[in-house]
Amino acid sequence: MLKVGMIGLGKMGRLHMMNCLKIDGTKIIAAADPSKKALNKAKFVGVNNLYTDYHDLLNDSSNMDAVIISLPNYLHFESIQLALEAGLNVFVEKPMANTVEECHKIVSLVKKSGKKLMIGHCLRFVDAIEKMKDSVDKGYIGDLEVITIEEVISGPFAHGAVPTPVSEWWFDPKKAGGGTLLDLGYHLIDLFRFFVGDSKMLYCCLDHKFNLPIEDGAIVILCSSNSSAKGIINVGWYQKTNFPKYNFRLILHGNAGYISSDALVPGNLYLHAIKEGTKNLFRKLIGKNIRPLSYTYYYESYYKELKHFFDCVKQDSDPLISATDGLETMELIEEAYKICNKNF
Amino acid sequence: MADVVLTSTETKYFTDDDVSKTVSRAIDLLNYDFNHDFHFVVIKPSLCYYWDYSTSETTDPRVVSAIVDYVRGQLGNDVSIFVAEADASAMRTKHAFKMLGYEKLSRKKHVKLVNLSKGDIVDKEVSVGDKKFTLKVNKMLLESKLIINVPKLKYHRRVGISCALKNMFGAISTPGKYIYHRELSEVIVGINKIVNSDVTVVDGIIAKGKYPKKMGVIIVSDNVLAADYAAAKILGYNPRRIAHINLAEKEKIGDFNHINLVEDGTDLEEIRSAFPEQNYLLQKISWKLQLKMLKAYSKIVGDTIPPILEE
Repeated sequence: MLKVGMIGLGKMGRLHMMNCLKIDGTKIIAAADPSKKALNKAKFVGVNNLYTDYHDLLNDSSNMDAVIISLPNYLHFESIQLALEAGLNVFVEKPMANTVEECHKIVSLVKKSGKKLMIGHCLRFVDAIEKMKDSVDKGYIGDLEVITIEEVISGPFAHGAVPTPVSEWWFDPKKAGGGTLLDLGYHLIDLFRFFVGDSKMLYCCLDHKFNLPIEDGAIVILCSSNSSAKGIINVGWYQKTNFPKYNFRLILHGNAGYISSDALVPGNLYLHAIKEGTKNLFRKLIGKNIRPLSYTYYYESYYKELKHFFDCVKQDSDPLISATDGLETMELIEEAYKICNKNF
Repeated sequence: MADVVLTSTETKYFTDDDVSKTVSRAIDLLNYDFNHDFHFVVIKPSLCYYWDYSTSETTDPRVVSAIVDYVRGQLGNDVSIFVAEADASAMRTKHAFKMLGYEKLSRKKHVKLVNLSKGDIVDKEVSVGDKKFTLKVNKMLLESKLIINVPKLKYHRRVGISCALKNMFGAISTPGKYIYHRELSEVIVGINKIVNSDVTVVDGIIAKGKYPKKMGVIIVSDNVLAADYAAAKILGYNPRRIAHINLAEKEKIGDFNHINLVEDGTDLEEIRSAFPEQNYLLQKISWKLQLKMLKAYSKIVGDTIPPILEE
């Protein structure tokens, strides 16, 4: 049984906690968050050791195997460093850290510690993306020439069923480390790298519709270092949409064909939810494990990435997303900001 | 008798000048008596969240800018003008002022931006029907002799229409106003009994129905209920069937039978027919049903609800 500590119980932390509870062979033994309300939620699901300061959790981590870090961006580096030094395997929300310099240090720390570190690049675990990667690897569309990826949503301004204020750190460029390019662009740049490998940044354009120092829209163009493949990425926080509406698409243009994620994602997410919900109900009735969050389609990827991480820890294998992936994605983002003379 | 002036922009380009002229013409037609010694003026736009006026969620700062010019034209350049909004459950005024263009307006027009959740706040008791509430209200609103309510013309999933009456709900100092959502109609009426809007200027330049529609409409009234009455009609709703509007009449905030509609170069029916009506009852029921079904499913199957859908 892997013993797990939760660091940060905000929106993402709570989602990871609920998913972790459904993974066989893992047990959450501790949780840390400054909010008592958040800690009560952890207590409600059976977590006994609760801390308002994550440093205390790490100090008491001698019987722990891994931590899941879902803190504000600016705390990623320090918490990863302390967790690795405490001999823990680490799953951390993206971005791995706010600067390339910090990412370099993390890569060294991971090597030195011999522990696993995986970053939450959840889009790689979306069913449609997995199928697209498989098709490319099998050569169905020939050599990749152009990849267009876009994600224009509300980002941190998304409204939940219960309205809560956007966390203050999002408005502070030093703490957030960037805007939508770092938040959403990070995922899409990682996807480009997932399909073509080493990449270079060619062009970047940032938008500031919200009058904030951080960007709320970005368009970047990248190219592969090893082939003629180019990538066009369009991200934004400016669209007032809420789940289940999700304005994301990936189109792979090869020299022998093309694939679009739109053709692989369920056309109607309400019907999909009913279908998958019913399947889970039957699984439950006949005593089988349910497929957590499959009814939401996209959110299932959060369960899958976490399960993959724990499988890697149990089997002592390398996670699909390493610290080097985090570093290389961050290098491209810093390059994009440099093109636009932005320095956070 | 309450007057309601209904007018629209001369062109469909909605330029700054066009918006300014329309607002000015509408207030002129209201014939409001500005010949008093107004110590200071409070303008209350609707800045419920961080989506700007083009999304049809918040008040266009150009409408507020035009009101500032008009007020200065009537009361002189020395009058102090405050643009005021309170924090909301999900919105913080300091960010909204910056993101929605009000900081820029403040610099350009020399008006002061005020967070109604800060400063001198008092508890005010109010009765609505057989219910009693104690609401936190900024003293500035109680002391001002001229409050200009500048709501957005928009559909609202929970109460049908979010216009003049609902905009004053946003003036309650308590940031976590979500706690009032179970008695929303009563609290909306309650705050309007405590704080009187002297003039209402409804921003329908871009209005919210099924989608954001460029309407170019400005509604001006000297009675907050009368403004909502006209707004509800434009949205395609029977005002008597909108709970908080109906309740406001019962509480004598206004009178449906004593409304004098002045149609300036347009008419209500023409505007209504162009409005992308949203069936709010269907929306309200379907949203509630979805959340209830999700909760039941999660309880039976033991599946997770993503935080964005958590109740």
